[in-house]
Amino acid sequence: MTPVADSLRPGRAPDRLGSRTRALARAVDPLRLAGVAIGVAVWQGLTMLLPPIILPTPAGVAGRLRDDFWSAPALSYYGLTEPNLYGNLLYTAQNVLVAVLAGASIGIASGLLSARFPLVQAGLDPVVMTAGTVPILIAAPFLLIWFGVGRTSAVCLVVFYVAVTLHIFAARAARNVDPIFEQSARTLGAGSRRVLRDVLLPATVPEILGGLRIALAGAWGLEAVAELLGSQSGMGKVIEVLAGATDPQGIMAALLSLGSTAVLADLLAALAVARLTRWSAAAR
Amino acid sequence: MKVRHPTRDRWISLAVLAALALGWQVLSLVYTAEAQPGEPMVAGWQVLFTRTLLSLSDYWPGGLGVPAVADGAERSYLAALLAILLHSADTILRLAAGLMLGGVAGLVLGLALSWSRWTRRLVDWPLQFIRTLPLLAMVPLFQLWFGTDALGEVVFVAYGIGVIVFAGTVNAVRNIPQIYLDNARALGASRLFLTRTVVLPAIVPAMRSTVLLSLGAGWGAVLGAEYLGAQSGLGYMIVYAQQFAFLDRMFLVALLFVFYTSVSTVVLARLTGRMLAWAPEGQRA
Repeated sequence: MTPVADSLRPGRAPDRLGSRTRALARAVDPLRLAGVAIGVAVWQGLTMLLPPIILPTPAGVAGRLRDDFWSAPALSYYGLTEPNLYGNLLYTAQNVLVAVLAGASIGIASGLLSARFPLVQAGLDPVVMTAGTVPILIAAPFLLIWFGVGRTSAVCLVVFYVAVTLHIFAARAARNVDPIFEQSARTLGAGSRRVLRDVLLPATVPEILGGLRIALAGAWGLEAVAELLGSQSGMGKVIEVLAGATDPQGIMAALLSLGSTAVLADLLAALAVARLTRWSAAAR
Repeated sequence: MKVRHPTRDRWISLAVLAALALGWQVLSLVYTAEAQPGEPMVAGWQVLFTRTLLSLSDYWPGGLGVPAVADGAERSYLAALLAILLHSADTILRLAAGLMLGGVAGLVLGLALSWSRWTRRLVDWPLQFIRTLPLLAMVPLFQLWFGTDALGEVVFVAYGIGVIVFAGTVNAVRNIPQIYLDNARALGASRLFLTRTVVLPAIVPAMRSTVLLSLGAGWGAVLGAEYLGAQSGLGYMIVYAQQFAFLDRMFLVALLFVFYTSVSTVVLARLTGRMLAWAPEGQRA
Protein backbone atom coordinates (compact mmCIF):
# COMPACT_ATOMS: atom_id res chain seq x y z
CA MET A 1 0.00 0.00 0.00
CA THR A 2 1.38 3.39 -0.92
CA PRO A 3 1.90 5.98 1.83
CA VAL A 4 -0.78 8.25 0.34
CA ALA A 5 -3.40 5.56 0.38
CA ASP A 6 -2.27 4.64 3.87
CA SER A 7 -2.92 8.14 5.16
CA LEU A 8 -6.31 8.29 3.48
CA ARG A 9 -7.50 5.12 5.13
CA PRO A 10 -9.95 5.77 7.95
CA GLY A 11 -8.89 4.79 11.44
CA ARG A 12 -5.21 5.41 10.77
CA ALA A 13 -4.49 6.89 14.17
CA PRO A 14 -4.69 3.70 16.25
CA ASP A 15 -2.40 2.00 13.72
CA ARG A 16 0.34 4.58 14.17
CA LEU A 17 2.55 2.62 16.48
CA GLY A 18 2.26 -0.38 14.23
CA SER A 19 3.31 1.55 11.15
CA ARG A 20 6.24 3.00 13.06
CA THR A 21 7.47 -0.42 14.08
CA ARG A 22 7.07 -1.55 10.51
CA ALA A 23 9.04 1.47 9.29
CA LEU A 24 11.79 0.62 11.75
CA ALA A 25 11.84 -2.99 10.57
CA ARG A 26 12.11 -1.75 7.00
CA ALA A 27 14.96 0.56 7.97
CA VAL A 28 16.93 -2.32 9.46
CA ASP A 29 17.57 -4.02 6.16
CA PRO A 30 19.12 -7.49 6.65
CA LEU A 31 21.22 -6.99 3.54
CA ARG A 32 22.66 -3.74 4.92
CA LEU A 33 23.40 -5.49 8.21
CA ALA A 34 25.12 -8.22 6.23
CA GLY A 35 27.19 -5.51 4.56
CA VAL A 36 28.38 -4.30 7.96
CA ALA A 37 29.19 -7.88 8.96
CA ILE A 38 31.21 -8.36 5.76
CA GLY A 39 33.04 -5.09 6.40
CA VAL A 40 34.02 -6.19 9.91
CA ALA A 41 34.99 -9.64 8.61
CA VAL A 42 37.26 -8.11 5.95
CA TRP A 43 38.87 -5.93 8.61
CA GLN A 44 39.36 -9.01 10.82
CA GLY A 45 40.83 -10.89 7.88
CA LEU A 46 43.29 -8.10 7.16
CA THR A 47 44.52 -8.11 10.76
CA MET A 48 45.70 -11.69 10.22
CA LEU A 49 47.93 -10.51 7.38
CA LEU A 50 49.22 -7.31 8.97
CA PRO A 51 51.03 -6.83 12.29
CA PRO A 52 48.87 -5.36 15.09
CA ILE A 53 51.07 -2.25 15.22
CA ILE A 54 49.71 -1.43 11.74
CA LEU A 55 46.16 -2.70 11.94
CA PRO A 56 44.53 -3.55 15.29
CA THR A 57 41.63 -6.00 15.43
CA PRO A 58 38.03 -4.74 15.48
CA ALA A 59 37.51 -6.33 18.91
CA GLY A 60 40.66 -4.66 20.18
CA VAL A 61 39.49 -1.24 19.01
CA ALA A 62 36.03 -1.75 20.50
CA GLY A 63 37.54 -2.82 23.81
CA ARG A 64 39.90 0.12 23.77
CA LEU A 65 37.00 2.48 23.13
CA ARG A 66 35.14 1.02 26.10
CA ASP A 67 38.16 1.31 28.42
CA ASP A 68 39.38 4.73 27.30
CA PHE A 69 36.00 6.38 27.23
CA TRP A 70 35.77 7.05 30.95
CA SER A 71 39.38 6.65 31.97
CA ALA A 72 42.63 6.52 30.02
CA PRO A 73 45.36 7.22 32.60
CA ALA A 74 48.07 7.01 29.92
CA LEU A 75 46.82 10.25 28.41
CA SER A 76 47.60 12.22 31.56
CA TYR A 77 51.33 11.48 31.12
CA TYR A 78 51.23 13.52 27.92
CA GLY A 79 49.88 16.61 29.65
CA LEU A 80 46.21 16.24 28.80
CA THR A 81 44.04 17.74 31.50
CA GLU A 82 41.28 15.20 30.89
CA PRO A 83 42.72 11.68 30.86
CA ASN A 84 39.72 10.12 29.08
CA LEU A 85 37.92 10.30 25.77
CA TYR A 86 34.70 11.60 27.30
CA GLY A 87 36.16 14.88 28.56
CA ASN A 88 38.01 15.61 25.34
CA LEU A 89 34.99 14.69 23.27
CA LEU A 90 32.98 17.15 25.32
CA TYR A 91 35.59 19.87 24.74
CA THR A 92 35.55 19.28 20.99
CA ALA A 93 31.76 19.11 20.87
CA GLN A 94 31.42 22.38 22.79
CA ASN A 95 33.77 24.12 20.38
CA VAL A 96 31.94 22.74 17.37
CA LEU A 97 28.57 23.75 18.80
CA VAL A 98 29.64 27.30 19.63
CA ALA A 99 31.36 27.69 16.27
CA VAL A 100 28.41 26.35 14.30
CA LEU A 101 25.97 28.65 16.10
CA ALA A 102 28.16 31.73 15.68
CA GLY A 103 29.16 30.91 12.10
CA ALA A 104 25.59 30.13 11.10
CA SER A 105 24.28 33.46 12.42
CA ILE A 106 26.93 35.37 10.49
CA GLY A 107 26.62 33.32 7.32
CA ILE A 108 22.82 33.30 7.17
CA ALA A 109 22.60 37.05 7.76
CA SER A 110 25.21 37.91 5.14
CA GLY A 111 23.81 35.39 2.66
CA LEU A 112 20.27 36.73 2.90
CA LEU A 113 21.50 40.32 2.68
CA SER A 114 23.59 39.63 -0.40
CA ALA A 115 20.67 37.90 -2.11
CA ARG A 116 18.49 40.94 -1.39
CA PHE A 117 20.89 43.75 -2.26
CA PRO A 118 22.95 43.41 -5.47
CA LEU A 119 25.49 45.89 -4.12
CA VAL A 120 26.17 43.78 -1.04
CA GLN A 121 26.42 40.75 -3.28
CA ALA A 122 28.91 42.39 -5.61
CA GLY A 123 31.01 43.37 -2.62
CA LEU A 124 30.89 40.05 -0.77
CA ASP A 125 30.97 37.63 -3.70
CA PRO A 126 34.70 37.80 -4.51
CA VAL A 127 35.58 37.25 -0.86
CA VAL A 128 33.09 34.44 -0.30
CA MET A 129 33.86 32.72 -3.60
CA THR A 130 37.57 32.69 -2.78
CA ALA A 131 36.92 31.48 0.76
CA GLY A 132 34.58 28.85 -0.68
CA THR A 133 37.17 27.34 -3.01
CA VAL A 134 40.29 27.63 -0.84
CA PRO A 135 40.49 25.12 2.02
CA ILE A 136 39.73 27.10 5.20
CA LEU A 137 42.44 25.02 6.87
CA ILE A 138 44.98 27.41 5.31
CA ALA A 139 44.11 29.94 8.03
CA ALA A 140 44.92 27.61 10.94
CA PRO A 141 48.63 28.52 11.42
CA PHE A 142 47.79 32.24 11.27
CA LEU A 143 45.07 31.89 13.89
CA LEU A 144 47.52 29.98 16.09
CA ILE A 145 49.93 32.92 16.01
CA TRP A 146 47.26 35.59 16.40
CA PHE A 147 45.22 33.93 19.14
CA GLY A 148 47.73 31.50 20.60
CA VAL A 149 47.28 27.81 21.36
CA GLY A 150 43.81 27.31 22.76
CA ARG A 151 40.12 27.31 22.21
CA THR A 152 39.90 30.62 20.35
CA SER A 153 41.96 29.72 17.30
CA ALA A 154 40.17 26.42 16.71
CA VAL A 155 36.74 27.98 17.18
CA CYS A 156 37.62 30.88 14.85
CA LEU A 157 38.64 28.45 12.12
CA VAL A 158 35.35 26.55 12.34
CA VAL A 159 33.30 29.77 12.61
CA PHE A 160 34.90 30.94 9.39
CA TYR A 161 34.14 27.68 7.60
CA VAL A 162 30.54 27.49 8.79
CA ALA A 163 29.91 31.16 7.94
CA VAL A 164 31.18 30.74 4.36
CA THR A 165 29.19 27.53 3.82
CA LEU A 166 25.97 29.01 5.15
CA HIS A 167 26.42 32.27 3.29
CA ILE A 168 26.45 30.28 0.06
CA PHE A 169 23.43 28.19 1.06
CA ALA A 170 21.40 31.14 2.36
CA ALA A 171 22.10 33.27 -0.71
CA ARG A 172 21.10 30.44 -3.03
CA ALA A 173 17.98 29.69 -1.00
CA ALA A 174 16.88 33.33 -1.09
CA ARG A 175 17.47 33.50 -4.82
CA ASN A 176 15.46 30.32 -5.36
CA VAL A 177 12.36 31.72 -3.67
CA ASP A 178 9.69 32.09 -6.33
CA PRO A 179 9.14 35.87 -6.78
CA ILE A 180 5.40 35.25 -6.96
CA PHE A 181 5.31 34.69 -3.19
CA GLU A 182 6.73 38.11 -2.49
CA GLN A 183 4.59 39.76 -5.16
CA SER A 184 1.44 38.20 -3.72
CA ALA A 185 2.32 39.35 -0.23
CA ARG A 186 3.05 42.85 -1.49
CA THR A 187 -0.22 42.95 -3.38
CA LEU A 188 -1.97 42.05 -0.17
CA GLY A 189 -0.27 45.04 1.45
CA ALA A 190 2.72 43.55 3.29
CA GLY A 191 5.62 45.91 4.01
CA SER A 192 9.31 45.04 3.67
CA ARG A 193 9.56 43.85 7.24
CA ARG A 194 6.55 41.56 6.97
CA VAL A 195 7.80 40.20 3.65
CA LEU A 196 11.09 39.35 5.33
CA ARG A 197 9.43 37.77 8.36
CA ASP A 198 6.50 35.97 6.77
CA VAL A 199 7.75 35.14 3.27
CA LEU A 200 11.52 35.20 2.83
CA LEU A 201 12.64 33.67 6.12
CA PRO A 202 10.17 30.75 6.12
CA ALA A 203 10.73 30.07 2.42
CA THR A 204 14.49 29.80 2.85
CA VAL A 205 14.47 27.77 6.07
CA PRO A 206 14.47 24.26 4.51
CA GLU A 207 17.46 24.90 2.25
CA ILE A 208 19.40 26.78 4.94
CA LEU A 209 18.88 23.98 7.43
CA GLY A 210 20.17 21.52 4.83
CA GLY A 211 23.29 23.66 4.56
CA LEU A 212 23.58 23.71 8.34
CA ARG A 213 23.78 19.92 8.41
CA ILE A 214 26.49 19.92 5.75
CA ALA A 215 28.47 22.55 7.64
CA LEU A 216 28.05 20.60 10.87
CA ALA A 217 29.38 17.43 9.24
CA GLY A 218 32.49 19.23 7.98
CA ALA A 219 33.05 21.10 11.25
CA TRP A 220 34.19 18.01 13.18
CA GLY A 221 37.18 17.27 10.98
CA LEU A 222 38.23 20.89 10.86
CA GLU A 223 37.96 21.28 14.64
CA ALA A 224 39.97 18.08 15.13
CA VAL A 225 42.74 19.17 12.77
CA ALA A 226 42.87 22.60 14.42
CA GLU A 227 43.39 20.81 17.74
CA LEU A 228 46.02 18.59 16.13
CA LEU A 229 47.96 21.67 15.06
CA GLY A 230 47.94 23.29 18.46
CA SER A 231 45.77 22.66 21.51
CA GLN A 232 45.94 21.34 25.06
CA SER A 233 42.78 19.26 24.96
CA GLY A 234 40.18 17.92 22.58
CA MET A 235 40.03 14.85 20.36
CA GLY A 236 42.62 16.28 17.96
CA LYS A 237 45.12 16.54 20.82
CA VAL A 238 44.30 12.98 21.86
CA ILE A 239 44.94 11.74 18.32
CA GLU A 240 48.19 13.70 18.16
CA VAL A 241 49.40 12.22 21.44
CA LEU A 242 48.46 8.70 20.41
CA ALA A 243 50.15 9.16 17.01
CA GLY A 244 53.31 10.21 18.83
CA ALA A 245 53.07 6.99 20.85
CA THR A 246 52.52 4.90 17.66
CA ASP A 247 49.23 3.59 18.96
CA PRO A 248 46.89 2.92 16.00
CA GLN A 249 44.46 1.07 18.25
CA GLY A 250 44.00 4.16 20.38
CA ILE A 251 43.77 6.43 17.31
CA MET A 252 41.08 4.24 15.79
CA ALA A 253 39.14 4.18 19.05
CA ALA A 254 39.39 7.99 19.21
CA LEU A 255 38.31 8.35 15.56
CA LEU A 256 35.44 5.95 16.17
CA SER A 257 34.17 7.95 19.13
CA LEU A 258 34.55 11.22 17.20
CA GLY A 259 32.73 9.76 14.18
CA SER A 260 29.93 8.39 16.38
CA THR A 261 29.52 11.79 18.02
CA ALA A 262 29.31 13.39 14.59
CA VAL A 263 26.65 10.88 13.54
CA LEU A 264 24.71 11.50 16.72
CA ALA A 265 24.86 15.26 16.21
CA ASP A 266 23.74 14.84 12.62
CA LEU A 267 20.82 12.62 13.69
CA LEU A 268 19.72 15.22 16.24
CA ALA A 269 20.04 17.95 13.63
CA ALA A 270 18.06 15.88 11.13
CA LEU A 271 15.30 15.34 13.67
CA ALA A 272 15.19 19.04 14.47
CA VAL A 273 15.15 19.94 10.77
CA ALA A 274 12.34 17.47 10.07
CA ARG A 275 10.33 19.00 12.90
CA LEU A 276 10.96 22.58 11.85
CA THR A 277 10.09 21.99 8.20
CA ARG A 278 7.13 19.64 8.59
CA TRP A 279 5.01 22.13 6.67
CA SER A 280 7.35 22.32 3.70
CA ALA A 281 6.97 20.25 0.56
CA ALA A 282 10.53 21.13 -0.46
CA ALA A 283 12.01 19.42 2.57
CA ARG A 284 10.60 16.05 1.57
CA MET B 1 12.78 40.66 -11.17
CA LYS B 2 15.88 42.50 -10.10
CA VAL B 3 17.98 43.97 -12.87
CA ARG B 4 21.53 42.64 -12.92
CA HIS B 5 24.47 44.80 -13.89
CA PRO B 6 27.28 42.39 -14.78
CA THR B 7 29.83 45.06 -15.73
CA ARG B 8 29.11 47.23 -12.73
CA ASP B 9 29.21 44.21 -10.40
CA ARG B 10 32.57 43.14 -11.83
CA TRP B 11 33.97 46.60 -11.14
CA ILE B 12 32.65 46.48 -7.60
CA SER B 13 34.24 43.06 -7.08
CA LEU B 14 37.58 44.35 -8.35
CA ALA B 15 37.25 47.41 -6.16
CA VAL B 16 36.61 45.23 -3.12
CA LEU B 17 39.72 43.15 -3.81
CA ALA B 18 41.76 46.31 -4.32
CA ALA B 19 40.34 47.75 -1.11
CA LEU B 20 41.34 44.59 0.77
CA ALA B 21 44.88 44.82 -0.58
CA LEU B 22 45.01 48.51 0.30
CA GLY B 23 43.51 47.87 3.73
CA TRP B 24 46.27 45.33 4.37
CA GLN B 25 48.86 47.95 3.47
CA VAL B 26 47.25 50.55 5.74
CA LEU B 27 47.07 47.98 8.54
CA SER B 28 50.78 47.26 8.12
CA LEU B 29 51.52 50.98 8.56
CA VAL B 30 49.18 51.49 11.52
CA TYR B 31 49.70 48.21 13.36
CA THR B 32 53.45 47.89 13.65
CA ALA B 33 53.58 45.18 16.33
CA GLU B 34 56.16 42.49 15.72
CA ALA B 35 55.75 38.75 16.15
CA GLN B 36 59.45 38.73 16.98
CA PRO B 37 62.16 41.38 16.50
CA GLY B 38 62.31 42.31 12.82
CA GLU B 39 59.21 40.24 11.96
CA PRO B 40 56.12 42.45 11.61
CA MET B 41 52.74 40.87 12.46
CA VAL B 42 51.35 42.50 9.35
CA ALA B 43 53.88 42.81 6.54
CA GLY B 44 53.18 45.43 3.88
CA TRP B 45 53.34 44.56 0.20
CA GLN B 46 56.70 46.31 -0.24
CA VAL B 47 58.16 43.94 2.38
CA LEU B 48 56.36 40.85 1.07
CA PHE B 49 57.66 41.14 -2.47
CA THR B 50 61.23 42.07 -1.56
CA ARG B 51 62.58 40.80 1.73
CA THR B 52 60.03 38.04 2.27
CA LEU B 53 60.28 36.74 -1.27
CA LEU B 54 64.06 36.78 -0.96
CA SER B 55 63.91 34.88 2.32
CA LEU B 56 62.09 32.02 0.60
CA SER B 57 65.42 31.11 -1.00
CA ASP B 58 66.22 29.47 2.38
CA TYR B 59 63.95 26.65 1.21
CA TRP B 60 66.03 25.87 -1.87
CA PRO B 61 68.10 22.73 -1.24
CA GLY B 62 70.65 23.60 -3.94
CA GLY B 63 71.26 22.33 -7.44
CA LEU B 64 70.81 23.56 -11.03
CA GLY B 65 73.87 25.76 -10.54
CA VAL B 66 72.09 27.75 -7.82
CA PRO B 67 73.72 27.02 -4.44
CA ALA B 68 71.64 26.65 -1.28
CA VAL B 69 71.60 29.31 1.42
CA ALA B 70 72.33 26.55 3.92
CA ASP B 71 75.68 26.04 2.14
CA GLY B 72 76.63 29.66 2.73
CA ALA B 73 75.33 31.22 -0.49
CA GLU B 74 73.70 34.66 -0.58
CA ARG B 75 69.90 34.83 -0.79
CA SER B 76 68.76 35.45 -4.34
CA TYR B 77 65.49 35.87 -6.18
CA LEU B 78 66.43 33.00 -8.49
CA ALA B 79 66.82 30.62 -5.56
CA ALA B 80 63.55 31.90 -4.08
CA LEU B 81 61.76 31.28 -7.38
CA LEU B 82 63.25 27.79 -7.64
CA ALA B 83 62.22 27.04 -4.05
CA ILE B 84 58.67 28.14 -4.80
CA LEU B 85 58.57 26.02 -7.96
CA LEU B 86 60.02 22.98 -6.19
CA HIS B 87 57.59 23.03 -3.29
CA SER B 88 54.61 23.91 -5.49
CA ALA B 89 55.49 20.98 -7.74
CA ASP B 90 55.63 18.68 -4.71
CA THR B 91 52.19 19.76 -3.54
CA ILE B 92 50.63 19.68 -6.99
CA LEU B 93 52.12 16.28 -7.85
CA ARG B 94 50.79 14.83 -4.60
CA LEU B 95 47.38 16.26 -5.36
CA ALA B 96 47.42 15.03 -8.97
CA ALA B 97 48.56 11.54 -8.03
CA GLY B 98 45.97 11.37 -5.24
CA LEU B 99 43.21 12.61 -7.54
CA MET B 100 44.12 10.05 -10.21
CA LEU B 101 44.40 7.11 -7.83
CA GLY B 102 41.38 8.02 -5.75
CA GLY B 103 39.27 8.99 -8.74
CA VAL B 104 39.91 5.77 -10.65
CA ALA B 105 39.57 3.55 -7.58
CA GLY B 106 36.38 5.28 -6.47
CA LEU B 107 34.83 5.13 -9.93
CA VAL B 108 35.68 1.46 -10.54
CA LEU B 109 34.54 0.38 -7.07
CA GLY B 110 31.42 2.50 -7.34
CA LEU B 111 30.49 1.01 -10.71
CA ALA B 112 31.26 -2.52 -9.54
CA LEU B 113 29.13 -2.19 -6.44
CA SER B 114 26.28 -0.54 -8.31
CA TRP B 115 26.06 -3.76 -10.28
CA SER B 116 22.71 -4.62 -8.76
CA ARG B 117 20.35 -3.36 -6.12
CA TRP B 118 21.66 -6.11 -3.84
CA THR B 119 25.27 -5.03 -3.87
CA ARG B 120 24.18 -1.42 -3.46
CA ARG B 121 22.33 -2.31 -0.28
CA LEU B 122 25.28 -4.38 0.93
CA VAL B 123 27.73 -1.46 0.77
CA ASP B 124 25.31 1.21 1.93
CA TRP B 125 25.96 1.11 5.68
CA PRO B 126 29.72 0.46 5.62
CA LEU B 127 30.06 3.33 3.16
CA GLN B 128 27.99 5.67 5.31
CA PHE B 129 30.09 4.68 8.30
CA ILE B 130 33.36 5.43 6.50
CA ARG B 131 32.02 8.79 5.37
CA THR B 132 31.26 9.83 8.95
CA LEU B 133 34.90 9.50 10.03
CA PRO B 134 36.31 13.05 9.94
CA LEU B 135 38.80 12.90 7.07
CA LEU B 136 41.31 15.49 8.29
CA ALA B 137 41.55 13.87 11.71
CA MET B 138 42.79 10.68 10.00
CA VAL B 139 46.07 12.19 8.79
CA PRO B 140 48.11 10.75 11.71
CA LEU B 141 46.73 7.27 11.03
CA PHE B 142 47.82 7.41 7.39
CA GLN B 143 51.21 8.73 8.41
CA LEU B 144 51.63 5.78 10.75
CA TRP B 145 50.69 3.43 7.95
CA PHE B 146 52.46 4.93 4.98
CA GLY B 147 55.05 7.32 6.42
CA THR B 148 55.37 11.09 6.24
CA ASP B 149 56.98 11.20 2.78
CA ALA B 150 55.24 11.39 -0.57
CA LEU B 151 53.55 7.97 -0.32
CA GLY B 152 51.70 8.77 2.90
CA GLU B 153 50.32 12.03 1.52
CA VAL B 154 49.33 10.55 -1.85
CA VAL B 155 47.50 7.62 -0.24
CA PHE B 156 45.74 9.97 2.16
CA VAL B 157 44.57 12.28 -0.63
CA ALA B 158 43.57 9.26 -2.70
CA TYR B 159 41.53 7.91 0.21
CA GLY B 160 39.73 11.21 0.73
CA ILE B 161 38.97 11.57 -2.98
CA GLY B 162 38.12 7.89 -3.35
CA VAL B 163 35.39 8.05 -0.71
CA ILE B 164 33.82 11.10 -2.37
CA VAL B 165 33.98 9.70 -5.90
CA PHE B 166 32.72 6.32 -4.74
CA ALA B 167 29.70 7.83 -3.02
CA GLY B 168 29.09 10.14 -5.99
CA THR B 169 29.23 7.24 -8.45
CA VAL B 170 26.84 5.05 -6.46
CA ASN B 171 24.46 7.99 -6.16
CA ALA B 172 24.68 8.88 -9.85
CA VAL B 173 24.06 5.30 -10.96
CA ARG B 174 21.05 5.09 -8.67
CA ASN B 175 19.60 8.20 -10.33
CA ILE B 176 19.81 6.90 -13.88
CA PRO B 177 16.24 6.69 -15.23
CA GLN B 178 15.25 3.04 -15.05
CA ILE B 179 13.84 3.24 -18.60
CA TYR B 180 17.35 3.64 -20.07
CA LEU B 181 18.47 0.41 -18.48
CA ASP B 182 15.23 -1.44 -19.26
CA ASN B 183 15.32 -0.45 -22.91
CA ALA B 184 18.92 -1.57 -23.36
CA ARG B 185 18.22 -4.81 -21.49
CA ALA B 186 15.14 -5.46 -23.61
CA LEU B 187 17.25 -5.07 -26.73
CA GLY B 188 19.57 -7.75 -25.37
CA ALA B 189 22.49 -5.80 -23.86
CA SER B 190 24.69 -7.75 -21.46
CA ARG B 191 25.54 -6.33 -18.03
CA LEU B 192 29.07 -5.30 -19.09
CA PHE B 193 27.86 -3.80 -22.35
CA LEU B 194 25.17 -1.92 -20.43
CA THR B 195 27.74 -0.47 -18.02
CA ARG B 196 29.98 0.65 -20.86
CA THR B 197 27.42 2.12 -23.23
CA VAL B 198 24.55 3.25 -21.00
CA VAL B 199 25.60 3.62 -17.36
CA LEU B 200 28.95 5.31 -17.94
CA PRO B 201 27.70 8.05 -20.31
CA ALA B 202 24.53 8.56 -18.28
CA ILE B 203 26.36 9.38 -15.04
CA VAL B 204 28.79 11.88 -16.62
CA PRO B 205 26.60 14.99 -16.12
CA ALA B 206 25.92 14.11 -12.48
CA MET B 207 29.62 13.43 -11.88
CA ARG B 208 30.60 17.01 -12.61
CA SER B 209 29.73 18.25 -9.12
CA THR B 210 31.51 15.23 -7.64
CA VAL B 211 34.67 16.09 -9.59
CA LEU B 212 34.57 19.73 -8.49
CA LEU B 213 33.88 18.68 -4.91
CA SER B 214 36.78 16.25 -4.91
CA LEU B 215 39.19 18.89 -6.22
CA GLY B 216 38.31 21.12 -3.25
CA ALA B 217 38.55 18.21 -0.82
CA GLY B 218 41.84 17.18 -2.44
CA TRP B 219 43.42 20.60 -1.87
CA GLY B 220 42.22 20.48 1.74
CA ALA B 221 43.56 16.95 2.22
CA VAL B 222 46.97 17.68 0.74
CA LEU B 223 47.24 20.82 2.88
CA GLY B 224 46.23 18.92 6.02
CA ALA B 225 48.74 16.18 5.30
CA GLU B 226 51.50 18.72 4.70
CA TYR B 227 50.64 20.68 7.84
CA LEU B 228 50.98 17.53 9.91
CA GLY B 229 54.42 16.21 9.15
CA ALA B 230 55.39 16.35 5.48
CA GLN B 231 58.95 17.41 4.71
CA SER B 232 58.20 19.46 1.60
CA GLY B 233 55.38 21.27 -0.16
CA LEU B 234 53.55 24.55 0.37
CA GLY B 235 51.85 23.37 3.58
CA TYR B 236 55.24 22.37 4.98
CA MET B 237 56.62 25.82 4.13
CA ILE B 238 53.77 27.45 6.07
CA VAL B 239 54.04 25.38 9.26
CA TYR B 240 57.84 25.51 9.17
CA ALA B 241 57.64 29.31 9.01
CA GLN B 242 55.00 29.23 11.78
CA GLN B 243 57.42 27.55 14.18
CA PHE B 244 59.67 30.61 13.90
CA ALA B 245 56.72 33.05 13.74
CA PHE B 246 57.73 34.23 10.24
CA LEU B 247 54.26 35.62 9.55
CA ASP B 248 55.30 37.35 6.33
CA ARG B 249 56.55 34.10 4.78
CA MET B 250 53.40 32.28 5.85
CA PHE B 251 51.31 34.99 4.27
CA LEU B 252 53.17 34.92 0.96
CA VAL B 253 53.01 31.12 0.64
CA ALA B 254 49.33 31.14 1.66
CA LEU B 255 48.62 33.70 -1.08
CA LEU B 256 50.32 31.37 -3.55
CA PHE B 257 48.17 28.50 -2.33
CA VAL B 258 45.00 30.59 -2.67
CA PHE B 259 46.06 31.42 -6.21
CA TYR B 260 46.58 27.75 -7.16
CA THR B 261 43.28 26.56 -5.68
CA SER B 262 41.25 29.39 -7.23
CA VAL B 263 42.79 28.97 -10.68
CA SER B 264 42.49 25.18 -10.66
CA THR B 265 38.85 25.35 -9.57
CA VAL B 266 37.91 27.89 -12.23
CA VAL B 267 39.78 25.96 -14.95
CA LEU B 268 38.17 22.66 -13.98
CA ALA B 269 34.70 24.22 -13.77
CA ARG B 270 35.09 25.77 -17.24
CA LEU B 271 36.56 22.60 -18.71
CA THR B 272 33.90 20.26 -17.35
CA GLY B 273 31.21 22.77 -18.31
CA ARG B 274 32.45 22.71 -21.89
CA MET B 275 32.73 18.95 -21.94
CA LEU B 276 29.09 18.71 -20.89
CA ALA B 277 27.79 20.99 -23.64
CA TRP B 278 25.96 17.99 -25.10
CA ALA B 279 23.98 17.25 -21.94
CA PRO B 280 20.47 18.68 -21.59
CA GLU B 281 20.46 21.86 -19.46
CA GLY B 282 18.55 20.29 -16.56
CA GLN B 283 20.93 17.33 -16.22
CA ARG B 284 24.08 19.37 -15.72
CA ALA B 285 24.83 19.48 -12.05
